[in-house]
Amino acid sequence: MDQPRTDPDQELVKRTQSGDASAFDELVIKYTPRLYGLVYNMTSNHEDTNDLLQDIFAKAYKAIRGFRGKSSFYTWIHSISVNMTLNFLKKRGRRFQLSLDDVDASVHNDKEFLELTATSSPVREADLSELQRRLNEAMMKLSDEHRAVVTMFHIQGMPHAEISKILRVSEGTVRSRLFYANRQLQNYLDEFRKNPVS
Amino acid sequence: MDEFNDNEIARLLRLKRYEQPPPGYFENFLHEFHRRQRNELLRQPLWRICLERAHTFMLGLDARSLTSYPAAVTAVLLCAAVISLKIYQQPETARVALQNPPAISIPANTEGEWNLASPVATQILRTQPVRSFNESAQTHRAAPPRYVLDSVPVSYEPTFRF
Repeated sequence: MDQPRTDPDQELVKRTQSGDASAFDELVIKYTPRLYGLVYNMTSNHEDTNDLLQDIFAKAYKAIRGFRGKSSFYTWIHSISVNMTLNFLKKRGRRFQLSLDDVDASVHNDKEFLELTATSSPVREADLSELQRRLNEAMMKLSDEHRAVVTMFHIQGMPHAEISKILRVSEGTVRSRLFYANRQLQNYLDEFRKNPVS
Repeated sequence: MDEFNDNEIARLLRLKRYEQPPPGYFENFLHEFHRRQRNELLRQPLWRICLERAHTFMLGLDARSLTSYPAAVTAVLLCAAVISLKIYQQPETARVALQNPPAISIPANTEGEWNLASPVATQILRTQPVRSFNESAQTHRAAPPRYVLDSVPVSYEPTFRF
């Protein structure tokens, strides 16, 4: 049974609510890398991600006085991020260009990457940048809502329950969206399997 | 098997964690955040800043206490209305009582039954003038019209007329 856990950010949130701006700075520093990953993988564009992330923290700072602590700050700030990103993507529509970040060189030491290159012929045959491009293109073919679920579950490693809280949908909906998104990704990447070097 | 299965897709997607912004990005992010906040503040008109502050203040209030305020204010207003009605109605009735009742309360046939207990002023007010205004004007041209009748004796002894 789930025990009610205290929010590790409670103290920082209270200090921010009482007017201590430096406490909010600590929250920004703490959550920037994680939220960057969330927004970046939903937009596939570094510049858009940067602007959105600034807006997200600005909105959170304005709204933090109204934060009652019914959920954790982590869930709250993720909800703001996902909602703002989805709104942004609706406005952006299909007119955009991929602006991808560089893949960190340490990926070559990643155990999973090594296993993939050893077992999967498309991955083995393609170079890393090609693999990245194909993967991002496949992600961008998903609907915004499906991409959000895939990002949170597969890339950020969040549990279904946390995702359902952030998106305010049932866990069943999260699971079904994941299932559908995986099928879609399989179809999109199938071409990559057939023709790994294009 | 060359086809991507669920597990491989999950692994591929996890590799996206290695896509990282340029070095120093996270270190500079906070400075950029402060700079944008300052710029936004300078751009905003004063009324918007005030509105936002008020909005933030309202958000900061507890919703439970917010709902109790209207109820309390309504109760106080209702009490005040009831009390003011009671207070203002009392003098009103007293005033009406002073002006009207002699004419209404005393029947016409009691005219001759004056006694000492009867307030003279009240009786004078309700009594019909014996002389008409015109008559009075003929006899006392210079004097202003009078409604206190000469025929009403100061004492109860009969007056003699010649």
